[in-house]
Amino acid sequence: MAATDGGANQLEFSLDVPFPSSREAEIALRSLSPDREPRKGGIRKQLTVSGSKLSVKWSADEARILRVSVNSFLDHLSLVLETMEMFGPPVSQ
Amino acid sequence: MCIYTYINVRTSMYIHRHKQISAMTVVIGFEGSANKIGIGIIRDGEVLSNPRRTYITPPGQGFMPSDTARHHRAVVLTVLKEALEQAGLKPADIDCVSYTKGPGMGAPLVTVALVARTVAQLWGKPLLGVNHCIGHIEMGRLITKANNPTVLYVSGGNTQVIAYSERRYRIFGETIDIAVGNCLDRFARVIKISNDPSPGYNIEQMAKKGSQYVELPYTVKGMDVSFSGILSYIEDVSHKMLSSGQCTPEDLCFSLQETLFSMLVEITERAMAHCGSQEVLIVGGVGCNMRLQEMMGVMCKEREAKLFATDERFCIDNGAMIAQAGWEMFRSGQVTELEDSWITQRYRTDEVEVTWRAD
Repeated sequence: MAATDGGANQLEFSLDVPFPSSREAEIALRSLSPDREPRKGGIRKQLTVSGSKLSVKWSADEARILRVSVNSFLDHLSLVLETMEMFGPPVSQ
Repeated sequence: MCIYTYINVRTSMYIHRHKQISAMTVVIGFEGSANKIGIGIIRDGEVLSNPRRTYITPPGQGFMPSDTARHHRAVVLTVLKEALEQAGLKPADIDCVSYTKGPGMGAPLVTVALVARTVAQLWGKPLLGVNHCIGHIEMGRLITKANNPTVLYVSGGNTQVIAYSERRYRIFGETIDIAVGNCLDRFARVIKISNDPSPGYNIEQMAKKGSQYVELPYTVKGMDVSFSGILSYIEDVSHKMLSSGQCTPEDLCFSLQETLFSMLVEITERAMAHCGSQEVLIVGGVGCNMRLQEMMGVMCKEREAKLFATDERFCIDNGAMIAQAGWEMFRSGQVTELEDSWITQRYRTDEVEVTWRAD
């Protein structure tokens, strides 16, 4: 965990997830992106894909808020991964 | 009006002729807005499969969002496998993936939406977000063949009287606080009635053995109803009356059902009078209560109206209802882009433009 003191006393956390291909990384990104964070402020989350790697970056005001968001993201991620294992691989486009 | 009907008939004939090769439209529906998770597959009005699991909590306890989401996560892929196997279909046979966009509990909704989004992309199929209430209405219409009914939608999270007019399912009356099913569920918790298979079912069975009517508040406010005061009142008196032997738990179940259902029949009848409607359709989990159906039947008979209801397979939340509403929406040209596929805890029935009805 990279909890660094950003310029404005922000906690930061970053996560890299490798996928078998860029196609699968894109699918995960598009599955995990649409839902907004439940709370209004205090946390920001950004998802990006480069190659076959999904990267997530959080910045939060408090560790408590960060923990909740990261925990629920990991739950969601593992469900997406399981779904890909059971019902993949993606059909050719 | 006549011209529109004519065009619609022509259009559908055209579509039909062109679709003869790929034949029929198959839609899979994912539902998980409360404590049931269900996945159903519909092919042109035929239910091919509709497996479901229920998260059942111990007596005295309700279901919390995060625990419910955990339950759904644990079983959703198994249920999906069952849905495909029972239908005898491969993913390639499916034309559209529909899921519940809302209303409902956030965490369970997200869980199910994640799987729907992922398989839609894996299989290269369009995605479609469905309003849960519209799912109930369209499933009820499909199963009962009711044409243009006044709809009573009663469940653990919703209580609405609905009628269709000009491309919207309009809410004529609703609860101003908690849902009727929530009132029943929470009463069941107070006197520790089992949640298996559902608190409402067990209350219904106990009510059959009740004989003494305990007077409860009756709170119809015009077209609307209120249940929270009735719940507070019965919570208050039940322990006193039970410990002093003034009444039995069965009497309380009986009295609560009679009071709640009378209120629902009253507002349904008023909506029918306003709309000049001669059909009633009961949908939602509470809708499979036979005493409610019986009381509604008496009212309908007096008005020479027809009553339509379904059994627990389709009344209680299920995947096929989302597939059916999805089928109608998809056939009328709707799809949901992935970036617009966020779930929403609040989503009113009348927010949806009904693009699939010609009347």
